[in-house]
Amino acid sequence: MKCEFCLELLEEYLDGELAVEDREQIDAHLITCSECSESFAALSAEQEIFARYDREIEVPPFLWTRVAAHTVSESNVAKRGWLPAVFRKASFASAIAVTLIVIAIGVVYLLSSNKTPEPKLAKSPSETPNPNPAPQSVPSVVPKHEVIAAGPRPKLRAKPTTPTPDQSDVLSSDPGYLDMDDQDTANHIEQSKLLLRSIKNVAIADNDDEVDVTYDKALSRRLLNENVVLRRDAEMKAKFPTKTLLADLEPFLIDIANLPDRARAEDVRVIKERVQKTEIVAALVDYQDRGTNNR
Amino acid sequence: MSAFAGTLMNSSADLVTRVCQGDADAFRLIFERYSRPVISFIYDMVNDRGLAEELTQETFVRAFRAIHTMRTETKLSTWLFGIARNVARESLRARARANSHVDLEDKSVMDLSDNKPVPVDGLLSKELNELIRRSLAALDEDKRLVFTLKVLHQCSYEEIAAITGFSLAKLKTDLHRARAEMRKRISPYAGVGYEV
Repeated sequence: MKCEFCLELLEEYLDGELAVEDREQIDAHLITCSECSESFAALSAEQEIFARYDREIEVPPFLWTRVAAHTVSESNVAKRGWLPAVFRKASFASAIAVTLIVIAIGVVYLLSSNKTPEPKLAKSPSETPNPNPAPQSVPSVVPKHEVIAAGPRPKLRAKPTTPTPDQSDVLSSDPGYLDMDDQDTANHIEQSKLLLRSIKNVAIADNDDEVDVTYDKALSRRLLNENVVLRRDAEMKAKFPTKTLLADLEPFLIDIANLPDRARAEDVRVIKERVQKTEIVAALVDYQDRGTNNR
Repeated sequence: MSAFAGTLMNSSADLVTRVCQGDADAFRLIFERYSRPVISFIYDMVNDRGLAEELTQETFVRAFRAIHTMRTETKLSTWLFGIARNVARESLRARARANSHVDLEDKSVMDLSDNKPVPVDGLLSKELNELIRRSLAALDEDKRLVFTLKVLHQCSYEEIAAITGFSLAKLKTDLHRARAEMRKRISPYAGVGYEV
């Protein structure tokens, strides 16, 4: 074997990527050729240097919480509804069949309700018929946010004086109202504030070993999920005060979300003290008071 | 305890099947098993700790949502690295190249000492890490990708081709050039005078 050919294959030889025949030829050549052997030693030494490379990077403990909030937790939320479960488990054809049945029932229902005697009113020319008449006995469309959220959201208002759109139908939102992001953020801030106040006010006696935080933990998990999304949205839309506030809030949500259902009193006390010391609740209130114009 | 030991015995293929069946614990095991190599790989690519964390999160979220599309013959690690590579690439493209690219002649890459050749054993490990980190950042994206996968993550050429979509010829060429560039940068400190 010529040295030129050996040097050409040396990296692949080191990488263990050569065919057996080539490898055996290089094995034999390296024994007899001191120059190629030195080149191989240098290449191996170089590899050693890179093997020592330590990025000093660890997987932060909160990363799983964040990933779970967007994956397994969302998946569990979806499983709570029977309809998504049907569509998830059934084949495509079955899903179409179910859809058609639902539509057929709806049509039959609409036709039957149209047959009910009702006074025929003369329509003025300005009146246009509603192309999609919704029978009153059929519940209105389920609001989108209720499908997405883990559970029914408390109907809280971030600012009592702020006009809020009719949440019973997201399609009817008036663009003159707060945009949906601001509305979501306001609701999120309000719920987070209540959660932190609840933690701040939790009574822990000296002889308490454990505190039941089942509800706070579940709420915190849901809020954490929302927080990540809203923080990113705020960042993308250059709403920096909102982004900063949500970034400050996130560690509290992570800590509460990571507590066991029956948390050690000491762990709860630490979070409680941190809530007090950092005045995060005051920051949330201040944000609400400033209103949406500054966001 | 025995249940936990049993869980540890799960193969990647078993875990994938369980995740597809809605087993959240199986996905957590996948995360625990692969999050470290994935975050290291992404960090090698983007050279930013905070961003690497965010992109690792994005990688696993995408993986979860697409896991049912994973073909049975695909190796889980290769598949995850493929997603991580796409996520990192999208991020790099979005970032201004001027900020992410370190020119070959950029003194900051080389100025770790007073330019005197220093044997690598004489470098503190922190300095060596910093030197490699900066040198990696100075490689162009394709070269950094194949170098990272081969030299730092010991992937086979076949795996690298599957992750990157590069032909064998391209990845060999890029790898060879990446090695030469890295050698050029670290040789003053490592005393590696070897040229291929």
